Amino acid sequence: MKLEKVIAVRTSKTIYRDGDHVVKVFDQGYSKSDILNEALNIARVEETGLPIPGVEAVTMVDGKWAIVTDFVEGKTLARLMSEDHENYAQYMERLVDIQLEMHATPAPAMLNKLQDKMKRKISQTGLDATTRYELDARLHGMPKHNKLCHGDFNPSNVVIKPDGSYAILDWAHATQGNASADAARTYLLFWLGGDIEGAEMYLDLFCKKSDTAKQYVQKWLPIVAASQSVKGKEEEKEFLMHWVNVVEYE
Amino acid sequence: METKTAFEIVENTETFERMLARVREAQKVYATYTQEQVDEIFRAAAMAANFQRIPLARMAVEETGMGVVEDKVIKNHYAAEYIYNTYKNTKTCGVIEEDPAFGVKKIAEPIGVIAAVIPTTNPTSTAIFKTLLALKSRNGIIISPHPRAKKCTIEAAKVVLEAAVKAGAPEGLFGWIDVPSLELTNKVMAEADIILATGGPGMVTAAYSSGTPALGVGAGNTPAIIDDTADVVLAVNSIIHSKTFDNGMICASEQSVIVLEGVYDQVKAEFQKRGCYFLNPAETEKVRKTIIINGALNAKIVGQKAHTIAALAGVEVPESTKIIIGEVESVEISEEFAHEKLSPVLAMYKAADFDDAVAKAEQLVADGGYGHTASLYIHTAEKEKMARHQAAMKTCRILVNTPSSQGGIGDLYNFKLIPSLTLGCGSWGGNSVSENVGVKHLINIKTVAERRENMLWFRVPEKVYFKKGCMPLALDELKVEYGKKKAFIVTDTFLYQNGYTKPITDKLDEMNIQYSCFWNVQPDPTLANALEGVQQIRAFEPDVIIALGGGSAMDAAKIMWVLYEHPDADFASMSMDFMDIRKRIYKFPKMGEKAMFVAIPTSAGTGSEVTPFAIITDEKTGTKWPIADYELLPNMAIVDVDNMMNAPKGLTSASGIDVMTHAIEAYVSIMATPFTDGLALQAIKAVFDYLPSAYANGANDPIAREKMAEASCMAGMAFANAFLGVNHSMAHKLGAYHHLPHGVANAVILTEVIRYNAADVPTKMGTFSQYQYPHAKERYVEAAKFAGIQGKNDDEIFENFIAALEDLKEKIGIKKTIKDYGVDEKYFLDTLDEMVENAFNDQCTGANPRYPLMSEIKEIYLKCYYGK
Repeated sequence: MKLEKVIAVRTSKTIYRDGDHVVKVFDQGYSKSDILNEALNIARVEETGLPIPGVEAVTMVDGKWAIVTDFVEGKTLARLMSEDHENYAQYMERLVDIQLEMHATPAPAMLNKLQDKMKRKISQTGLDATTRYELDARLHGMPKHNKLCHGDFNPSNVVIKPDGSYAILDWAHATQGNASADAARTYLLFWLGGDIEGAEMYLDLFCKKSDTAKQYVQKWLPIVAASQSVKGKEEEKEFLMHWVNVVEYE
Repeated sequence: METKTAFEIVENTETFERMLARVREAQKVYATYTQEQVDEIFRAAAMAANFQRIPLARMAVEETGMGVVEDKVIKNHYAAEYIYNTYKNTKTCGVIEEDPAFGVKKIAEPIGVIAAVIPTTNPTSTAIFKTLLALKSRNGIIISPHPRAKKCTIEAAKVVLEAAVKAGAPEGLFGWIDVPSLELTNKVMAEADIILATGGPGMVTAAYSSGTPALGVGAGNTPAIIDDTADVVLAVNSIIHSKTFDNGMICASEQSVIVLEGVYDQVKAEFQKRGCYFLNPAETEKVRKTIIINGALNAKIVGQKAHTIAALAGVEVPESTKIIIGEVESVEISEEFAHEKLSPVLAMYKAADFDDAVAKAEQLVADGGYGHTASLYIHTAEKEKMARHQAAMKTCRILVNTPSSQGGIGDLYNFKLIPSLTLGCGSWGGNSVSENVGVKHLINIKTVAERRENMLWFRVPEKVYFKKGCMPLALDELKVEYGKKKAFIVTDTFLYQNGYTKPITDKLDEMNIQYSCFWNVQPDPTLANALEGVQQIRAFEPDVIIALGGGSAMDAAKIMWVLYEHPDADFASMSMDFMDIRKRIYKFPKMGEKAMFVAIPTSAGTGSEVTPFAIITDEKTGTKWPIADYELLPNMAIVDVDNMMNAPKGLTSASGIDVMTHAIEAYVSIMATPFTDGLALQAIKAVFDYLPSAYANGANDPIAREKMAEASCMAGMAFANAFLGVNHSMAHKLGAYHHLPHGVANAVILTEVIRYNAADVPTKMGTFSQYQYPHAKERYVEAAKFAGIQGKNDDEIFENFIAALEDLKEKIGIKKTIKDYGVDEKYFLDTLDEMVENAFNDQCTGANPRYPLMSEIKEIYLKCYYGK
């Protein structure tokens, strides 16, 4: 395994290309179960037939855990959006279409539940008891669906291949649950990326194409914002708390 | 305030379980308390809560940082005093209702342990309200407070509990979660016996999905319409009074005002005059973005003063501003002002007309207030507008000229609206109740119902004349007693041509009563046949109808009578089968308004002169409509044997054995009574004694003829009130499918049916309160004994009874089997299953002492066909 060509560096992980493969090397902070869970997520989603880079191996590289997956030739939608800004709207449409295709794919039965994951995240936020109580109650009242949810669906995780077909990358956060939660998360990611116009365009398109009421997606925003706050980027905190600090009507 | 109660802190599953066990234990003891004990505890607890209303209110505001102390005092006061006043005399323990005549009693029992979810907006008042209801209904209660209001909520519960315990309640009756978490809240809801959930939609959904029965309430989004007929000053000030109450945190509070164009400026001026602030477009936009974040209510504005909220939005308003008002246009959910705001922020809309206003209100209710409350300000003379509004609002409370915060909770602006702090939102709001929740929702009511017998009556024509030669005397009455002027005679061709009508017409002539006659009644009369007569009747307009003849003539005449009185009579509905003639769905029209009805039988058989029955055939479909109702009872029956002397042998035999079947079936019917029994027994004995001679000797034995005439009439009275049985059900179908004369059809299955009914262990018995156990056999034996049939024991008497009936049948020339009457075997077997089902479904089946299975009917038919 030659780990020379770095494709991307993320917080606490580095991604290399090795011929037809991509090797994602995790820093020491990750637990073994996190790594195996991510690999298992990929394997499970792979079995649904959705176009994703398959998992080839889970291994150790210099004492660090690594997941080896297939390499996908092409450009991410994020890159296309910035390189070919004129056609931004078209790419956005593609993004939503692909996400809806993903939501329409039957989720693997053994995949983790979105509700459980969100519940865990809320408990990890360190928010005061009252806010956590409100968030828990809000989450508890949400319909429990079992759609395949990506958990980090954004233009940088969707690759358009030279032949025009697509592949969805990075299944670390995949769960089964309510598709609107997945959409709320995508909307939040646009906001955090500073693309507020893009966020609104995305939400309008998603709601129109999936025939979902906007407030139904919005209901998830306090929850996904709280879950995002766990990752703890200080500069995002105030903004996220603004979204979290709402109440249910009584 | 110094409460001393110190239970173990409840903060996790373990401590929760211990607390639950304690509450359950205490509730078990409390469940045995008497009404007097409970009422004293309820009173003492209400009194204590009332004493602490100010400290509790202050605590709530301090802890939650929301609302207004002075208004929370009112809420606490209300929760203690009004709830006590409403329920002080309500019976909630033991027997709460009793009706000895009907043998019915209602007993109230507690449900067990109530899970009470308490919101932040009204923490202390809701806690007082729910704990008082629990005390009154003898339930335990576990309180799940909101983390933001846990101290004051628990304190309120302690105040109530301590007073209750001092007045004698068990110590551990209330429990609460000291360290609230959704997990424990869910646990309370799952473990309790009923949930009183007040809270947001999430909490209410959680309650309903916990698996425990729940009384939940939901969000309101009250729209208030101000019509151009409204008293504007009253309207605006009511809304201000309501919207500012506890800084707008009452769920019934107005969220939007929809003002008719004609009074818009006036309304706006009044709002301004009374200290409300109208936002300009730029300010409106700022406030929009402040109150709602991503479609959800900003926690920071809930229960805050108008000035505080404006400041948050960067809008300068006077400190004393009561309400900030945004003049907006869209009622869609995308408009922030269209939401529930739980604060003194109000949306104001201009409506082009009343319909526009109602449409806007409808949408606002749909935006987030389904099932809750709607409000209307109008001149109450505008009934039609008010009706339109009532019809359109999908809300469980519609308040008129009333501040909705104070109005919705009841007993303040309307004294029949039950006071409550838990307002049901019906199925529209996903709730199980649509009214204001009270003690009746927290008790189980046992109904103890003792067995009672059905009410019965005995109905026969007002006048029944009998004895040879009675007819002319009876007809006298038409003139003397009733002053009739026009008589219409209905009869058949044979009787008409043979002069049977002459004695009647002579008498009518003598009395100067005009008459007309329809003499074309056919056997098994059809509707067409009856309509023929009706045309004549309508043209003649008689005030009395005289039916002369056998069953056909009397039935046809009854139908003509119905059509004469009620030209639109619907026979399909009239003939609908019923289980109980007094409970039938169809209401038979009133008879006798145009003409009275006199029946004169010419054969001893149907008894139709004294029965409420008639059968008519629809010639188009072949359907036979059996019509039954006491309205069809003739007003007068004239049983004069002179009209029967020369009946031919076949008729004497068939109609005579029909009398026997009527009498026997009426005697063993599940609806038989001593009133009908006497008549039935007399008829049975008379048929045994006189039918053979009447058959053999005809007019030469006038006594036998007369006894048979009387027997027919008595049997008629018996079965008019006790009804018949499966023998008639089966005979009706034999007649319909194989054209056996009715009497013959009855006779040929009679003894098989008797054997079938006499079983001591029938598959099923008939359902009728008076019919206590299967005893048809005893009844047959009683009838046999009365008729003089003897034997050494009941079994022998029963066998001798069957033998006597077979002997009687033989004497009057009845053949042994269905086959003997020339019914084709193949055709009989082909139609058998259909006939069985129809016989089973016959109106007569219901009164049979043995409830027949279809397979059993089939077996009887087969036995009677082959004679074995």
